[in-house]
Amino acid sequence: MIARKDKELTMLEKATNEFSRKILFPNREENDKFPFGPFFDTVLEKAYSVDFFHTLIPESLGGIGQGIPALSVILESVCTEDSSLGGIIFTTAAALNLMITAGRTTEIQTMTDQKTIKDMLIACPVFCNPSDIPELPEAKKSGDGYTLSGALDYLTLGGLAKTALISAKISGSPGFSYFLMDLESSAVIKSKPILSLGLRACPSVDITMKNAPATLLGEEGNGESYFKTMSDRMHVAAAAMSLGIMKGSFREAFEYSKKRMQGGQAIIQWSELKMILSNMAIQVKVADMLVTRACSALDSQETGWTDSARATALHVQSLACDLTTDGVQALGGVGYMKDFGQEKRFRDAKQIQALLGASPVKRLRFIDEMVERI
Amino acid sequence: MISRSEMNAFLMKEPAFEDMSISQQAISKQPSALLAETRRVVALARKFNEEVVRPQALALDMTMQENPDYLAWDFVKKANEWGFFTLWIPKLFGGQGYNLPSISSFMEEIASECLAMANLIGVHYLGFAVAVSSWNARLVNRLCRDVIEGERTGQPCLMSLALTEPGAGTDIEETDLMDKGTMTCHAKKVDGGYLVNGTKVFISNGHLSRWHMLIAFTDLKQPSENTVMLAVETGTQGFSFGRTEKKMGQKACPASELMFDNCFIPEENALYSAEQGKNLKRGLSQTNMQIIDFYFAASRAAVGAFGVGAARGAYREALNYAINAKLNGRPLIDHEWVQCLLAEMYKNMSLARFAYIEANYATGMHGMYKLIQQKQLYYITKFTPRFLIKKVVQPLLDKPWITTVFRKLNFDMQSEREIEITSGLASMAKFAGTDAGIKNCHLAMELMGQSGLRHDMRVEKYMRDAKLLQIYEGTNQLNRLHLFKCLIARNIPQVKMFEHEPAKTT
Repeated sequence: MIARKDKELTMLEKATNEFSRKILFPNREENDKFPFGPFFDTVLEKAYSVDFFHTLIPESLGGIGQGIPALSVILESVCTEDSSLGGIIFTTAAALNLMITAGRTTEIQTMTDQKTIKDMLIACPVFCNPSDIPELPEAKKSGDGYTLSGALDYLTLGGLAKTALISAKISGSPGFSYFLMDLESSAVIKSKPILSLGLRACPSVDITMKNAPATLLGEEGNGESYFKTMSDRMHVAAAAMSLGIMKGSFREAFEYSKKRMQGGQAIIQWSELKMILSNMAIQVKVADMLVTRACSALDSQETGWTDSARATALHVQSLACDLTTDGVQALGGVGYMKDFGQEKRFRDAKQIQALLGASPVKRLRFIDEMVERI
Repeated sequence: MISRSEMNAFLMKEPAFEDMSISQQAISKQPSALLAETRRVVALARKFNEEVVRPQALALDMTMQENPDYLAWDFVKKANEWGFFTLWIPKLFGGQGYNLPSISSFMEEIASECLAMANLIGVHYLGFAVAVSSWNARLVNRLCRDVIEGERTGQPCLMSLALTEPGAGTDIEETDLMDKGTMTCHAKKVDGGYLVNGTKVFISNGHLSRWHMLIAFTDLKQPSENTVMLAVETGTQGFSFGRTEKKMGQKACPASELMFDNCFIPEENALYSAEQGKNLKRGLSQTNMQIIDFYFAASRAAVGAFGVGAARGAYREALNYAINAKLNGRPLIDHEWVQCLLAEMYKNMSLARFAYIEANYATGMHGMYKLIQQKQLYYITKFTPRFLIKKVVQPLLDKPWITTVFRKLNFDMQSEREIEITSGLASMAKFAGTDAGIKNCHLAMELMGQSGLRHDMRVEKYMRDAKLLQIYEGTNQLNRLHLFKCLIARNIPQVKMFEHEPAKTT
């Protein structure tokens, strides 16, 4: 999936594919054991060293400034093998996007100056739209800054990052605002990593805060607008993750079907399985075209690109859930086992579908916004 | 208006009225006490759910994720204490004698809280169903006695089915595929018994079971006509356990590797062999398929019930979430789209339930349960005191002629059409129920958004657990083919199945 004819993107795709094959694939099962096994720090460091976390950061701030097309290339490739790394990259990119939208260049510069990935990571609740959360933490003005109190569920990377970018309501103000908060503050209590369906090495935690010092991001009450701007762009990246999973799932099913024998012939020769594989191949092709097109529309800021981005994400995420269900099925019993990648892709696809909010609510919002415009 | 012969002719047209009205026919033919029994079983399951399953399901799943080699003996012992491993063993064999279709209702209940725990109990009855399908009264009685003794002593005695092989999953479930496949579990006929070599994989409850119903072959070149069913006890020389599989879900129910290395099984442990089957009405391959149909007709309906349980669990958690969560300042459940989504989930669950109930009615009228649910026999065994059964009936079970009679009644007197309707409807119940399970898990997770992703909210576990249902007991693809074979192809004599097709669509 390459959104524009660009030598750099082609090279990036090649390099990421090699990374996925050589670094992610061999330890996929081990890395997925978190939180019951060690966290894959080495993989994360390697991903950091090859600039997977710098694509969205403008060159002027020390990044490589290739935007969503490059981020999507990386996410797609990484997610063919291990979406957990994709989840970490996505979360950091979503936080960066919010910071860019809010014009916080100083903090971004500070991030790019960090020497280790753990210093660069920013926790962010990427599996929700803050507008859908009935009770956000409360922010109170305190001197030059703010303090945050209350609970926030499912803060992704909250157990790993030093800083979090979270939404809260300022007492007496409408809407919500975004704040940067030090997660190492004694005013923040973190739960153990939450055991989740998928993306297990991209863990989330619940946090509670009691007068935790925080810095306002952008303007008060502008959170919804920042989230919308960020999510319009990041929907394409989320769709690229689903696409990567789909490609990985199809590839494994296809290869297995050529080798596994049943009734005296390779199972790929049985027409019912051939039909399943064909449906998977068609879904991959359609998803690839959609993500490429949506990414290209975003890149050139075509009229209506936000609709393309959202529709693509919703559709491709749903396709990925269907396809990975078949991907397990094509391998039969072994598809259900951790020795192969299919069961993880099945879980990860469902997890990714919830990025940036619950799927049915995202659908409702899609038509609501269309109604508003017309 | 319409003559009797005309009416019969019209009713015989497909879909035959007889096939469309199984439950209506069965209700008048089956003992009315079955319903009261099923009520009791469901209530018992709900009590067990409240006291044991729901409080322990998440913790056990978490333990298994942390330590995949952990064996859930505590749960097995608890189920044993509650009498669940003898509840459906007929009184004839010393069990509690609850009606066998009620297993499905029980399984739906337990599965609605935890599929792994449901399977831990259910697989024991798969092993039992396989044993019964041989209609070898002496050996079934002996195995059941061990189960009953296990309950009495507090040392659970479970049964499993050792069927799947590393190179043969689907192939081993249809005789039309067997001879084309790659079976490797060889049972060489030797003096006084069989010498078994080979490996079985994905055997549910393998490590937890004492008796394993092993399907092996005396001639690997033509397995369909040379199948032997052996009861193998854990601890037998030459039999050992290999790895437990690292599964995505249903973690508490181990999927084991069983290895046989020159393992001698005495003739007296042969539930069925080609030698035993040669005097039956059908050919050896047909009888082999009939046996497979016997046990899968029972077990696939129960797996359909597992699926309904998963669909129900997902529905329940989604409903609770919708009642408690808010969107746009209103309770989620007040939104019309949520109401329709929940109605859809309710429909998925209910229709799938009808499918397994109908399949069980068919098995009660035409399949494995027919004999025991025959009104007179049912009431005689129900009201005969245990000591009389033990003293008078059980010694008879050791007599070879009893097995001969059982086999005549069950093998030779079962018509092709009876096999087809029982087995076909069970396959339908299996894939309808398990597809409904997965569908509802998807819907629940979508509704719940990030809350649904968390282990402590349960739905993600249902999702992981439910996927296996579409694979075991024959993949849902095989079950669709089996339905086609049983209920559609029977009227199309020229149709060919399980044959190689051209490699390329031209």
